[in-house]
Amino acid sequence: MSEGGSSSQQRAGLSFSIRNPRDFWGGVALIALAIFALWASRDLPGQRGFAFGPGTAPRLFATLLAGLGAAVAFVGLVTDGPPIEKYKLRGPAFVVFAILLFAGMIRGASFSLLGLPIVIPSFGLIPSTFCAFMLSIMGSTEMRWVESLIAAVVMTFFCVILFVHLLGLPFQLMPRFWG
Amino acid sequence: MGVVFQFVYWNFHFLGADFSIPLPMNVIFCLVGALVGTLVGVLPGVGTVATIAMLLPITFGLPPVGALIMLAGIYYGAQYGGSTTSVLVNIPGEATSVITCLDGHQMARQGRAGAALAIAAIGSFFAGCVATVLVAALGTPLTSIALLFGPAEYFSLMVLGLIFAVVLAKGSVLKAVAMVVTGLLLSMVGSDLETGAGRMTFDFAELADGIGFTNIAMGVFGFAEIIRNLEMPAENRDIVSKKVTGLMPTRKDLIDSAGAIARGTILGSILGILPGGGAVIASFAAYTFEKKIAKDPSRFGRGAIEGVAAPESANNAAAQTSFIPLLTLGIPPNAVMALMVGAMTIHGIVPGPQVMTKQPDLFWGMIASMWIGNLMLVIINLPLVGVWVSLLRVPYRLLYPSIIVFCCIGVYSINNAPTDVVLAALFGIIGYWLIKHDFEPAPLLLGFVLGPLMEENLRRAMLIARGDATVFFTRPISAVLLSIAMVLLVVAALPKIRRRRDEVFVE
Repeated sequence: MSEGGSSSQQRAGLSFSIRNPRDFWGGVALIALAIFALWASRDLPGQRGFAFGPGTAPRLFATLLAGLGAAVAFVGLVTDGPPIEKYKLRGPAFVVFAILLFAGMIRGASFSLLGLPIVIPSFGLIPSTFCAFMLSIMGSTEMRWVESLIAAVVMTFFCVILFVHLLGLPFQLMPRFWG
Repeated sequence: MGVVFQFVYWNFHFLGADFSIPLPMNVIFCLVGALVGTLVGVLPGVGTVATIAMLLPITFGLPPVGALIMLAGIYYGAQYGGSTTSVLVNIPGEATSVITCLDGHQMARQGRAGAALAIAAIGSFFAGCVATVLVAALGTPLTSIALLFGPAEYFSLMVLGLIFAVVLAKGSVLKAVAMVVTGLLLSMVGSDLETGAGRMTFDFAELADGIGFTNIAMGVFGFAEIIRNLEMPAENRDIVSKKVTGLMPTRKDLIDSAGAIARGTILGSILGILPGGGAVIASFAAYTFEKKIAKDPSRFGRGAIEGVAAPESANNAAAQTSFIPLLTLGIPPNAVMALMVGAMTIHGIVPGPQVMTKQPDLFWGMIASMWIGNLMLVIINLPLVGVWVSLLRVPYRLLYPSIIVFCCIGVYSINNAPTDVVLAALFGIIGYWLIKHDFEPAPLLLGFVLGPLMEENLRRAMLIARGDATVFFTRPISAVLLSIAMVLLVVAALPKIRRRRDEVFVE
């Protein structure tokens, strides 16, 4: 979905026929999503006799969504609207990578990226929380090192108390290789 | 109602020792919920839905009744927290307290923040008491109506509910409908209920149970809002540096606001039952109404106490009565209630008329806890105003990473699944995109929650009617519900009404 957004930025700038780019490209993205859903549910059996098959409802809603997306896009062509706001990269990128870092570190992961096998050992709660905090705080332009490090330690400590001691959740705290 | 005040022995192991203490657990859950809800709710830019979504995971370890009571506490706390930020820093924590900013912040500037906050709490408490009685009184008759409903009627009722939500939400009706359908489509991912066939799962084992509800909620509300807030310039967050003095409102304040509180309560109770943006629309309507009937409307926007009392009472009354459709019909009227359904489902409770007959503990427990929740708000918030103010002095650059790691751990803890965290991040990006294109995420969440229910009832209705789709128009109740939905949709799309509707939200 985000690709639809970023490409819209460039094209909306070039083309002057799209009067309401937010609606137009929003609608186009919805149509794309609907087509994708239709493709994804293509081999599900449909209606048999009076009974719905597993594929009936998804196709029904996807078709409906395609129609609505077309209507939204059409509205985008005939009404005037504000241009699409610029997408910032720094904040979102750091936040998203911090979340992904947490997901990768908490229990470890092994996957292949571009054919390269990547293995992340299981780090546990304390390092994952600390690292995710530090990475996400870098998304802000007002970041200060000392203050951030103290805040990260405090927050990690708070999370361990809350989730592990008070709520009793079974988390691994430190890395496996720690011993 | 005994369940609420039940004493439970709490055995816990903390710092190497075993403790066992008898506690009125559910009252404590409610108190803790209201406290944490306020704590998160006062954070600027974190709305009610986001607060509940973030705090949902911490209730999963509790017994079902306790968990729902705590969630109810969180809900009221979050709403009250939103009002606190509106008054003190002029940043509404959430949509229902946007209107409180107008007069509340003006009062704060005149050094009367204490009076404004106290009136908000008192008004909310009064409204809460009235609405609680209403919920208890209307529960039984509505439940008996619900028993007349077959699959066709249920399907039509859900269509009506979704249309209501769309019509009362702000922004384009068409785009809101598109979001509902997107939500419905997303809910189709996962195993088919009847045949077990994997639908749109691409053979990912993680998707076999469908997309987790918390992943979507946390992504499009929690993460997306943070990303969005990071873009805002920092100087938007101006904080009242004046000390909050004179907490209690004067006699005159109380007399002035008594009428406003009563009118706000009535308006809010009625609008809350209607599906849709209940609490939001109620606060706007109550404010507009007060301004209309005031002898001197020009006082509004300059610190009129009625301008705080009426919307605050209305949004709390509406927050309460919006439990009615959920508890009796099993249909969430707004995004907050959709979250409640999600929580109930996780605890194995199917919301609907059978809750009242099969789990009276839960039903009456919730109702009693609503009243207690309101009481807690008055008790904890008046003394703690100073604490909330100092919390707002913590710079946002330190707050948001804390919220992010908190959310990450929360999402992960539900299934101990890192893929859930990845999905939430993905929905965060999608939510950011939706904001950029003026799509409201709330209808999407509502559609997502209602999706499986709608499909099930649609399938059953069609099967019973032997594949005849006209059944929805030939059964009288269903036909009436669907025609109301059609009329609403047409009316909302008319240009004249649309303009008026936009005015309400602009004011």
